[in-house]
Amino acid sequence: MSVPSPSVTTAAARAVDVTKVYGQGDTAVHALAGVSVDFLRGQYAAIMGPSGSGKSTLLHCLAGLDRVSSGQVFLGDDEISAMNEKELTLVRRDKIGFVFQAYNLVPTLTGLENIGLPLALAGRSPDPEWLDRILTTVNLADRVGHRPNELSGGQQQRVAVARALVSRPEVIFADEPTGNLDSRSGAEILGFMRDAVRELGQTIVMVTHDPVAASYADRVVFLADGKIVDELAGPTVDSVMDRMRRLGD
Amino acid sequence: MWRVTLRGLVAKKFRLALSSLSIALGVAFMAGTFVLTDTLGGVFDGLFTNTTQGVDAVVRSKLPYEPTGGQVSRDQLRPPVPESLVDVVRDVDGVARAEGSLLGYALVIGSDGEALQGQAPTFGLPWYPRSDTVNRSSEIVKGRAPRAPDEVAFDIRTFEDGGFRVGGPARVSFQTVPPREFRVVGAFLFGGSKDGPVGATLSAFTPATAQEVMNRVGQWDLIEVRAADGVSQTALRDDLRAALRADGLAADFESITGQQLADEQADELKSNLSIFNTFLLVFALVALFVGAFVIYNTFSITVAQRIREIGLLRALGATGRQVNRAVVGESLVVGVLSSVIGIVLGIALVPLLQGLLAGFGIDLPGGPLVIATRTLVVSFLVGTVVTVVSSLAPARRAARVPPITALRDQALDPAANRRRYLWGAALWVVGAVILLAGLFGGASGGDSALLIGGGAFFAFIGVAMLSPLLAGPAARVLTWPARRRGRVTARLASENAERNPRRTASTASALMIGLTLVSMVAVLAASLKGSFTETIRGQSSADFVLSPKGFFPFSPAAAEQIRAELPDATVVEYRIGVIQIGNDTVNVLGASPDFTEITDIGLRPGARRDAFARGGLYVEAPEAGARGLKVGDTVEVRFPDGPGRVTVQGIYAKELPPPFDPPFVLSLADWDRFPTTEDVSVSVLKGPGTTTREARRVVERAAAEVGGIAADDLASFIDRQIAQFDQLLNLVYVLLMLAVVIALVGIVNALALSVYERTREIGLLRAVGMTRRQLRRMVRGEALIVSAFGALLGLVIGVVFGFLIVQSVSSEGIAFALPVVQLVVFVVLAVLAGLVAGIPPARRAGRLDVLQAITSE
Repeated sequence: MSVPSPSVTTAAARAVDVTKVYGQGDTAVHALAGVSVDFLRGQYAAIMGPSGSGKSTLLHCLAGLDRVSSGQVFLGDDEISAMNEKELTLVRRDKIGFVFQAYNLVPTLTGLENIGLPLALAGRSPDPEWLDRILTTVNLADRVGHRPNELSGGQQQRVAVARALVSRPEVIFADEPTGNLDSRSGAEILGFMRDAVRELGQTIVMVTHDPVAASYADRVVFLADGKIVDELAGPTVDSVMDRMRRLGD
Repeated sequence: MWRVTLRGLVAKKFRLALSSLSIALGVAFMAGTFVLTDTLGGVFDGLFTNTTQGVDAVVRSKLPYEPTGGQVSRDQLRPPVPESLVDVVRDVDGVARAEGSLLGYALVIGSDGEALQGQAPTFGLPWYPRSDTVNRSSEIVKGRAPRAPDEVAFDIRTFEDGGFRVGGPARVSFQTVPPREFRVVGAFLFGGSKDGPVGATLSAFTPATAQEVMNRVGQWDLIEVRAADGVSQTALRDDLRAALRADGLAADFESITGQQLADEQADELKSNLSIFNTFLLVFALVALFVGAFVIYNTFSITVAQRIREIGLLRALGATGRQVNRAVVGESLVVGVLSSVIGIVLGIALVPLLQGLLAGFGIDLPGGPLVIATRTLVVSFLVGTVVTVVSSLAPARRAARVPPITALRDQALDPAANRRRYLWGAALWVVGAVILLAGLFGGASGGDSALLIGGGAFFAFIGVAMLSPLLAGPAARVLTWPARRRGRVTARLASENAERNPRRTASTASALMIGLTLVSMVAVLAASLKGSFTETIRGQSSADFVLSPKGFFPFSPAAAEQIRAELPDATVVEYRIGVIQIGNDTVNVLGASPDFTEITDIGLRPGARRDAFARGGLYVEAPEAGARGLKVGDTVEVRFPDGPGRVTVQGIYAKELPPPFDPPFVLSLADWDRFPTTEDVSVSVLKGPGTTTREARRVVERAAAEVGGIAADDLASFIDRQIAQFDQLLNLVYVLLMLAVVIALVGIVNALALSVYERTREIGLLRAVGMTRRQLRRMVRGEALIVSAFGALLGLVIGVVFGFLIVQSVSSEGIAFALPVVQLVVFVVLAVLAGLVAGIPPARRAGRLDVLQAITSE
């Protein structure tokens, strides 16, 4: 069990005693049953757990895509669980980056336009130096003029990562970002994400069921039945698999 | 497969409702039109059965020839019968009673001094005091029948509307005698109902007075006959015919039964009704045509959206034919449903349609709704067939979906291919050729209208097929200002419109049709109005013009009075008549001999104005050329009362000012050969010895005393004519609105489907920070692109159509005019309406739950 850190400033995202209940009465399902967890700035964290453990729900709540039933969610110092729809949208636009498993890109926009989308929605244009650095990091400079349907799956995910990075968000939430990729492209993406944390100082919270993906993270949090049951710092493929196996028992 | 079809339908209630609405509106209009005109037909049948009640047969003059052009009715052309014929008829076996009858012009001036006239004629008739009179259409319900020369009775509605009382005075205006004061002695019910005369006013006089005041001294319009007991209508008629033959009168007179007379009169009114019916049906067909686009579009989109599902069905073993049938089956359900809804709606909307027409000055008599089987069958079939036919192309496309599609990710319409564009271009060319043939090919009225309509139909489909080529560029141009300001929503809206140019184009095409028609009508109207004003200004030097306030010509008494009071003024009367030249029946404009002093018709040198004063014809140059006529020639003609000869006294080069279109002007010196003498217009040029004010006072007083006449100076005459024209024009615009509304329903439908299709993408946009407001703006932006594209395309085509039509009638002196402001207003309104149409789908998009949207499959 992770104890909430006393210093709020070092936590980029934080859940305090969060529950999420679907349905009512006897049929109620407790997707999250009292989760408290901190994700520190500059850290690459992974959330793992079996199917139905609540890992995706936790990610959605942390990212302001879903409402908690009780408890609080903070992004930096801001309590997003108290925000209205409009404020949440602006937080997502300005302070959060997203990488989904698929359908990450708007098909009518070029790669570069997709990358700049959150800024364009805010009526701003990207800082050219920062953009340059991101494009170099994800190794996309020559492909960004193309539309998504002209890019490979791996390239599309790299564009998605670049988009998540462009607004220098407080946190990037990634939901199975390599789930649709072959292992080589997957490894590439995971590498870029780790580089983003190491070299660009970003914070990433990633949901995955893949021990290999989790091994790229600095820390892995294990969820089961809506509760945090374990965590692991400096994970390796073996140690993660070991923990998962024990969870399954 | 039927189960798949039905389940697919039920699952998409919203789509079903909207696409049904687009057809149902057109069907409703069609059914409403049928019911309305059938109801009117029923009213007229009843009316004439009533007006001939008690009349077993009539004897009347033969019609010299059929009138043409609808400006002169048969009754106006038919010569009267001599009074002496009544005695001849009375002596025929089988005749119980025979009475002379007539229906003439008698305008009632209400007790407030205003003439009682709507759009219906004002009639005077003789009243036979005996209780066993032949015609039993009327019965006294107040006071008594007129017995003395100065007594009058009115139909009860006129009596009430005029504010009359029994024993009080009433003023009635006639054509050949000055207005006269009468004593009101009673009121009668005509045809058993207050609405019996269908808006006409009826004044009854003693028979001798009726003859005197309505230009029938010693004459009747016809003789009404009652059969002796036991003699049938047909037997009576045959007896009368035999008697006429025996007396050598069969060449000039004829006899028909009372029933035939009733049918004939009802048919004459009903033929006008059928023109009216056609007029309204054209708008219903336009609405259905637009609805067809909406249906086509809806089915194309849903086929595209379900392409994976269709691929799966194919992979599971469904044949292409089964898939085809499933889609067509769906359209059949939609068609049947919308036709039924449309028919019910149409019947319910009849009072609304009546109200609308009344609002534009077309008051129609009401009656029990007549819902003919034809109404139900035709509306149902047309609605269903239009829907099914519109779905055939999407169904064929669905049938061609290969099974492999089930496994692919693509769910877009197949790209428009070159063959389609070639077909579109071919259709367009064919349409244009037919259209031009209709305009310039010299076909007669009905055929040319059919060619123009058919040509426009193909040209529209051709343009619709070609328009995807323009959709992309149009979207970019239209959003350019917003994109330049860095609006990402504009960029996205533009891309969305461009990504499926066929969908954008066909959605826009529906609106295009409405805008084409609206702007074409605007161009035609502006050209007509401009030319009308121009011609009148250029050709007429009249100080004052008298014109009827209603639709019917007025008494020449007004002109007489002005002549008497302004001896030095030139007073010109115009009348419309029909004569035969050779085998052609032609309209002639009757004009006072000195009319060329007021109206410049470009009389060529050599014209004999002095001779024209004693009678004769002026002929328009092209007509004279075609008939080989020159000044001094004598032309054999037939007047209503028999053969005659007229001399060509002049050839003129200019068109007569509208609305007079006959190429012949007959001197009024010859007008004694016509049975009626109503003026359609009077122009007054004051003499040098009279001030304008004095002249105006005289003219206005004459107009007021005769009644039902508007007296204007030239400028306000033009205004008045244009205002009358505008009223009709506005009705056309309102009726075209229906087509625009259906196109807007199409926009709502297409955008809602697009939003539904892009749920996932919208979820993504929202997740990465697009606000609801931005999202709504994006969807409205798409609506704006579609509507602006459709409106502008329609504008261009409409102006071109308008131009072509004006060119085709340029020989009538009509010049092309472009009503720029009006067209701009139309386009702006259409775009705004499109924007409004974007609101529901935009709200729908805004309400999508972000999490559900991004996790949806």
